Amino acid sequence: MISNFTTHRYLLGQLILRDVLLRYRGAMFGILWIFLSPLLMLAIFAFVFGHIFQSRWPEQPEGLPFWLLLYSGLIVFNIFGEAVSRSPTAVRAYPSYVKKIIFPVYLLPLVPLGTCLIHAGLNLLILVAALAWTGHLSSGILLAPLLILPVLLFATGLSWFLSAWGVFIKDMTQIVPLFVQMTFFLSPVLYPVSVVPPALRPLYEYNPLGAVIEAIRAAVFGMHISWVPWIVSLISGSIAAVLGLAFFMHSRDEFADAL
Amino acid sequence: MNLLTLSDNIVISARNLTKTYRLFDGPGDRIKQFLSLGLRKYHSEFTALNDVSFDIRKGETVGVVGRNGSGKSTLLQLVCGILKPTSGSITVNGRVAALLELGAGFNPEFTGRENVYFQGALMGFSMAQMEERFEAIATFAGIGRFIDQPVRVYSSGMFVRLAFATVIHSDADILMVDEALAVGDESFQRKCFERIEEILDQKKMVIFFVSHNIRQIERICSQVFWLDQGSLRLGGKSNDVCNAYHNEIIKDVHAQQVERSGAYNCTASGEIDVIDISMSHADTSDCVDEVVMHGSAVVSIRFRCHIPVTSLDVIVGFHTADSVYVVSTSSSAVLGQSRDFEVGEHIVECTVPDMVLTPGVYYVRLAFLDGYRRNIWDGHRLHAFRVVADSAVNVMRMPQLSLVDIPFQWSFKDPMSVPKENFQV
Repeated sequence: MISNFTTHRYLLGQLILRDVLLRYRGAMFGILWIFLSPLLMLAIFAFVFGHIFQSRWPEQPEGLPFWLLLYSGLIVFNIFGEAVSRSPTAVRAYPSYVKKIIFPVYLLPLVPLGTCLIHAGLNLLILVAALAWTGHLSSGILLAPLLILPVLLFATGLSWFLSAWGVFIKDMTQIVPLFVQMTFFLSPVLYPVSVVPPALRPLYEYNPLGAVIEAIRAAVFGMHISWVPWIVSLISGSIAAVLGLAFFMHSRDEFADAL
Repeated sequence: MNLLTLSDNIVISARNLTKTYRLFDGPGDRIKQFLSLGLRKYHSEFTALNDVSFDIRKGETVGVVGRNGSGKSTLLQLVCGILKPTSGSITVNGRVAALLELGAGFNPEFTGRENVYFQGALMGFSMAQMEERFEAIATFAGIGRFIDQPVRVYSSGMFVRLAFATVIHSDADILMVDEALAVGDESFQRKCFERIEEILDQKKMVIFFVSHNIRQIERICSQVFWLDQGSLRLGGKSNDVCNAYHNEIIKDVHAQQVERSGAYNCTASGEIDVIDISMSHADTSDCVDEVVMHGSAVVSIRFRCHIPVTSLDVIVGFHTADSVYVVSTSSSAVLGQSRDFEVGEHIVECTVPDMVLTPGVYYVRLAFLDGYRRNIWDGHRLHAFRVVADSAVNVMRMPQLSLVDIPFQWSFKDPMSVPKENFQV
């Protein structure tokens, strides 16, 4: 399958490209929306958290606007959240790919993830621009693509797992987005791990989502990155990916019967 | 690889292929089944394909016939590798292109061009490889400037043309076609068959063909499998299997007619009712369902008039299963006069002195016209019968796809003996 993947890479690229284009095709502003929607989000963040709440974190660097902290965490969470929310329908929505054509079905759950990555990349560019504009740009941001690896692996594993379940149980399409929303409040996006009660802290630090959000924030603002939780997350993320793929391949034979 | 790949030219090899579907009553049962780890059974089973074995060599065209639900599509999906067999094995050597559903990978929002490239990616072609063949695909599809319009604005015919054009240009070793050619206009169908025959001549590609159109199958397939309730009932030479399948269909049609107990499928205005239609040889009066080609046959119709009918004209005709009307005759046209009928039962017989229809299954159509040429009774697909070849006629050498066999006369002459002015250029 690994050797297959190199030949399937082009196909995956085309699938992701279609997924991205399809979202904006026919819209008046077209592909511009890719930039417009995160920019609008950033503007609202700046207004609500910067002007109305005037929030501050204990370890926040001097002069750094709070909304930039929030935004960098949000970029990471969105990769995970969007990909996982869409995963239950990733295979279910394409019955003809499963039943009517010869197709490497395991690629389908990777499509929402790929789309999210493209969006995340653009969000990151906007973040870099915002950082440069406010004068907080540091070289740590170059590490970002590497740092998100654990979350990527974890989301891949979950997507494979949930998309397989989504084929058999339609309720997943309702349940999963709900859980993703709950995860948003439980993950350290709106608050730093340091304000979490010490008893719960390891739970926050050693899961892929929490570890990566913390690491990215530290990198972006030139603070010290704690590598141990990150490496632990990388391992657990890899395990999730392998298990997810194994489960997907195991249930794949039944897809055609269930759809 | 195993021995099968070494034994030359076998492209597809199936051994005891069986596919069983698990049927669940609801989604809840599926979860229970999963959680019980196979210790308990929450489902019933349905065997779609049962113990099917065959070998297919390079350059063969295989047809699959059978009633709805006999496992034809399941077999195709197994060969494609879309489904995994429950037991047994299937070995396929070569690249498979499938037309199980035309344009299955097409997205209506994208243009024809984009969809063709994407379809190419699905079949494992790179951008550069698709660029090479795009021109050929567009020309074959022949949909003109629509190629750059979103597929959602296509007519269903254009959609099919483009999808078929893409698949046929995929250089696959095995092409699977599942009743795909039924759509598309006549000239495109002809183009498809020409292309398929061209491929057949090159003896490069195996074509796997599912259709309900027996004529199509008979025409292009070298080998035919007849599936019946998931089992391979008969496999072999195209003519033999198609004939056997024809016979079965006729039996079915007759069984249905018996079930309907004489109520024929017709539109009638109530003046007359047809009681019975039967066929017999001219010399004996025994009812038969088989007529020898170039033999004689009599169609007898027993009907009842509810009111006196004047100047009645009876029309008898024969048509094929796919409703091609081959011949028909009118009693008043042949006799030169129409007749009046009193209230009560009557019998009219129509004799066919020389059955020119070629071997196959045909149906009788029957219509009654009154003196004002109004259709007072009109029915099609009334009585099925079969024309079989006379042993004197070499059926194997007869051109395919002709519906009638006229006793043509041939002669070969020396060009020197014919005066030149007889030929005009």
